[in-house]
Amino acid sequence: MRSLAPWLAGAVALAALPVFAPNSFFLHVAILILMWTLLGAAWNVLGGFAGQVSFGHAALFGIGAYVTMILYLKAGVSPWWGIPVGGLVAALASLPIGLVCFRLRGPYFSLATLAVAEIVKLVALNWEAVTNGPVGFLITGLPPLRVFGLAVDWESKLPFYVVAALLALAGLASTAWLRTSRLGAYLVAIRENEDAAEAVGIDTVRAKVMTLALSAFLAGMGGGFYAFYFRYVDPDAVLNISLSMEMVFIAMVGGLGTVGGPLIGAIFLTTVGETVRERFQVGHLIFYGLFMMLAIRYMPEGIWGRARKLFSSLQARVLGHGAA
Amino acid sequence: METFAQSLTSGVLTGALYAMIGIGLTVVFGVMRIINLAHGEMVMLGMFGAFWGQALWKLDPFLSLVLWVPLMFLGGMLLYRLLLRKIIPGGELNTLLYTAGLSLLIANLALFFWTGDYRTINLSYGQEPVRPFGISIAVPLAVAFVVALAITGALWLFLSRTDMGRAIRATSQNGEAAILMGVDVERVAMITFGLGTALAGAAGVLLAPSLYLYPTVGELLIVKCFVIVVLGGLGSVPGAIAGGILLGVVESLGAVYVSSTYKDGIGFVLFLAVLLYRPSGLFGVGK
Repeated sequence: MRSLAPWLAGAVALAALPVFAPNSFFLHVAILILMWTLLGAAWNVLGGFAGQVSFGHAALFGIGAYVTMILYLKAGVSPWWGIPVGGLVAALASLPIGLVCFRLRGPYFSLATLAVAEIVKLVALNWEAVTNGPVGFLITGLPPLRVFGLAVDWESKLPFYVVAALLALAGLASTAWLRTSRLGAYLVAIRENEDAAEAVGIDTVRAKVMTLALSAFLAGMGGGFYAFYFRYVDPDAVLNISLSMEMVFIAMVGGLGTVGGPLIGAIFLTTVGETVRERFQVGHLIFYGLFMMLAIRYMPEGIWGRARKLFSSLQARVLGHGAA
Repeated sequence: METFAQSLTSGVLTGALYAMIGIGLTVVFGVMRIINLAHGEMVMLGMFGAFWGQALWKLDPFLSLVLWVPLMFLGGMLLYRLLLRKIIPGGELNTLLYTAGLSLLIANLALFFWTGDYRTINLSYGQEPVRPFGISIAVPLAVAFVVALAITGALWLFLSRTDMGRAIRATSQNGEAAILMGVDVERVAMITFGLGTALAGAAGVLLAPSLYLYPTVGELLIVKCFVIVVLGGLGSVPGAIAGGILLGVVESLGAVYVSSTYKDGIGFVLFLAVLLYRPSGLFGVGK
């Protein structure tokens, strides 16, 4: 029961936020934070829990974005179906990627994922029949939809906010599930010592491939949401290396292998990003790079990890005094 | 046949420059077990050094090597001393992420100050290609090739003949044994990092007249660089030379005989194949 309390509080806060939102820019920032929470959680599942640092998550994000977009434009499938389908396709695509890349360990795995992401981007740039090449796709209008008899107004931010909130909750909930599951325990064992994990009988490749598929599903849905919210997809926007780096950043700064880390990381990233964008137009990535370096140097457990540590040491001190 | 000879030649020429970038990455990996993701940005800084040298002080790009190489060497040593040294004990993945952050920082600072415009360097003597044996070779690339050969040769002599070079190779082969033999591994690491940075910078200066320069060019170069060192075996200098030339040739022939749009992709596929089937490199000398 105790563990449900923060979730309830979070859900209430999420539901209340649009009521108090002063303007649509505020809601836009909230949507970005929720989208990045989902993406950070997607990366964190693999990078934080299993210790497999991927530099190629932009590929999974991009696959989700393209699938959602292509399904809508060419087959008339509405985005709310397209987003989960995009996630599924990304998860399917992750299987061969995982089978290839997971034969490598540590930094070699990271380099292989980087190469895979570059290959996917090249394909998107050159396979014009399907992806429309460097031009990409643009949608002008979204199909009408009625929820509980009310027409959804696609020009307002509210429906997107609702979708983003649901997706972010799904991302955080699957991280929370993973943490207490048997698979999660396997992953931590793999992260700490892969040979030992194998020696006690864990099928490490299977565990890693399954986790990558979950991670890809979440990242792909993030891509689908991006396509649906920005109504625009091209290789540079959805397959850029810097997207992979931003996912790494969120999980790293927020707290690797924690449930709340991606949310904190996303709040931090988006706040820094939007503040800087307002002042300088370009250059928000300067600060991402800087904060990543500072975090690794001074706070490798991330903001969430550090806060939790402080909290538990405080708790121990208070309880200690009570006992004495 | 003529096309073949032509693309083979230009492949070898570009490959020699690729090799130089690869050597820088591979010696640093050998000594410190760092995969430096910011290596491509060092090349980019070299390219912009050549550009600004010409734009501001009318300095010939190739002559500006004399200025930029020592500066990059010092910069690399400082970077190691002040920043990286504290991170290395945290493990391979931490250093990887740290240099990823560094790479983002440098590339985007460059983007901020110098804008994302594509720039080129024009040389007064670069207009007409030379034509030995009916093969046309661009002058800047030919000069760069010769200088790259000279630098690689000098590096070879340094690594094989001097005490410092021997200390570097010893640390690379077995760090603990090197410490026991009285090698100051900290100093070796610092100098090696300076050397790696200087090589990347030199390659950047040499490549500048032949390529478009823009602040995020490092992204493309670093991936190529990994292809090279993995082909040759991480940590191996001769492997990096062979890998560089191989990649140059494969790209250049691939562009002619397979597909010019997928030219870069051929390198990546080769890279994955080698990582999977020959993880110690094509020549089995890496570790």
